[in-house]
Amino acid sequence: MPKPSHVAITGLGTFLGRRLADRLAATQPELGLVGIDLRRPYGLSPRVRFHPVDLTIPTADGRLADVLKKEEVDTVVHTAFRREPTPDLEEDHELETIGSLHVLNACAAAEVRRLVVASTTMVYGPRSDNPNFLTEDHPLHGHPDSHCVVNRVEVEELVADWRAGHPNTRVTVLRPCWIMGPHYMDSVVRYFGRPVVPTLLGYDPLMQFVHEEDCLHAFETATLKSHPGVFNVVGKGVLPLSTILRAGGKRLLRTPAAILCRLRYYPSRAQTGDPPEGFYDFLRYLWAADGTRGWAAFGEPEYSTREAWMSFVSSQRMRRYR
Amino acid sequence: MKEGTDRNGNEKPGAKRRRPGEGEDPDRNGADLLPGALLDLGKEIRARFDSRIAVGNAMGRGTADWVAFVDELRRRAPTLGMTERSGYVDDFGLDEHTLRQVRPVIEYLRLHYWRVDVAGIDELPADGPVLLVANRSGILPYDGLMISHVVAESMSERCRPRFLVADWLITLPFVQPFLARVGGVRACRENADRLLRTGRSVVAFPEGLKGAAKVFRQRYRLKRFGRGGVVRAAIEVGVPLVPVAVIGAEEAHPVLFKMETLARSVGASFIPVTPTFPLLGPLGLLPLPSKWSIRFGTPIETEHLGAKTARDELLVSRMTEDLRSEIQTMVDEDLHSRPGPWG
Repeated sequence: MPKPSHVAITGLGTFLGRRLADRLAATQPELGLVGIDLRRPYGLSPRVRFHPVDLTIPTADGRLADVLKKEEVDTVVHTAFRREPTPDLEEDHELETIGSLHVLNACAAAEVRRLVVASTTMVYGPRSDNPNFLTEDHPLHGHPDSHCVVNRVEVEELVADWRAGHPNTRVTVLRPCWIMGPHYMDSVVRYFGRPVVPTLLGYDPLMQFVHEEDCLHAFETATLKSHPGVFNVVGKGVLPLSTILRAGGKRLLRTPAAILCRLRYYPSRAQTGDPPEGFYDFLRYLWAADGTRGWAAFGEPEYSTREAWMSFVSSQRMRRYR
Repeated sequence: MKEGTDRNGNEKPGAKRRRPGEGEDPDRNGADLLPGALLDLGKEIRARFDSRIAVGNAMGRGTADWVAFVDELRRRAPTLGMTERSGYVDDFGLDEHTLRQVRPVIEYLRLHYWRVDVAGIDELPADGPVLLVANRSGILPYDGLMISHVVAESMSERCRPRFLVADWLITLPFVQPFLARVGGVRACRENADRLLRTGRSVVAFPEGLKGAAKVFRQRYRLKRFGRGGVVRAAIEVGVPLVPVAVIGAEEAHPVLFKMETLARSVGASFIPVTPTFPLLGPLGLLPLPSKWSIRFGTPIETEHLGAKTARDELLVSRMTEDLRSEIQTMVDEDLHSRPGPWG
């Protein structure tokens, strides 16, 4: 299968899904595009044929399979995941894990030839016994205090099982690290966007970012060309957290972990439904991923970690004057 | 637009470029630092100077220059006044800036405090990575820091070996960021493999915690060398193994005995008791001024063995034991020839 004829994107409202649809609509004139989400996003390109499907209802797999069959879809890009954790743990689980199960079932029923699943390098989990660079074969430990990461680990396991049972479908799993860029926004970006950033006293892990353009490029390439397997999508280079923040002109508020987690406990619980360790452990231990395999498949990234970060910081600065 | 103008981190989408000093470039060390830095400086000056000319030209000329000028301003305004406030950090966290700051301290320790004698450093291959294997002594990784400093000093900063640090130490808060910045790396197979494959030398202490926790009575008696992981890593990548004997580090932190029951209540595996440590509080962490010597043995080539022999367990365990006894012999020789622990 050299080139897909019809591509379906689940989770059209997410950043990745929407941008990918726009990119494909602009660059691939003969490609059929199908968008799937709860409701039609504003300003969607007329080339994208939209179908509303709620992935959380029990019969979603049948509905989705009907859509895929009717539109003769041969490639599915699954990006219907929460951008950031919400306080509703049950709903998040329904959408991410069970929703993915529905998508996999629908793909099996519609005999889709290619499946691209968005994951994240957070599934490796921040641990003190991680090697400096985690390869794609490293076991997925996740983090027990971050329910969205737990869901993503479950999705990875589902996809791995499903792939073994469906050899005719080429499955690509892309694991981007934290995304930075002028347009991307989630709770992590909001955290890094503050003028004074609280960090854990005594810890300074090496962080890595990927620029949104590089991430989208990897998704586009995985959709259009065949790259079965699991790939980390990361920028080149790593930088200590303190260096990153100082380079961006931020002020560091180094706080002991016990105080920081206690201070942020109530607000962060209200926002994410998780104990604060679910986020702060990612700023405590190493979880940088090795991007060699991804760079070999999708080409060298245009932005290194430092450039991705500076791209975000500069756009954030200019936002004030627009 | 000059190549160097994106020094401030501003982005030029669509252009593939690799500018030096990104941190992932291992070649930017030591001898190469100065020319590279001068080149960067030149580019930076040229970039800023050009913009002045652009302003001047724009005053007197047509609209095309104004457009270029405004573009230039828009491109530069977002990162105005932001500087890169750190040295070059490589992908294992080695920070040249920190290294430059602590160099006087290490120099003092090497020349005046421990008066480190170095022997056999000419035996090290001039190019390519090596796996240095040393006897472990003392709780704190002064020996690793000193070996990597001595090698970097006599060869070049680019050859600075990374020393592997045991888990329990490198995961401690405050210790981890500092050790990573001066070249410490968590001891595990993945890290050692990656360092060797990317052409960087590694200092390993295969005795591990057993070696670090030796009491004074057992000093300079090498313990078992793990499960042969060091030899296996060297064979797989095909780098030479260099035995290293460190004398004097045992006396810097003489462990009289280990407190185990008390340690268990705070979650540690043991608390070392030195003549000074729990007695003087944090001051007891300072090492004693023993006389040190570091001797590098003859490199053991592993390239001709081929990567497949790494699975030959009998060969690996024999080589590991040979390596251990060779280091033990070197240590014994050096112990005989030294006048006394304090020099």
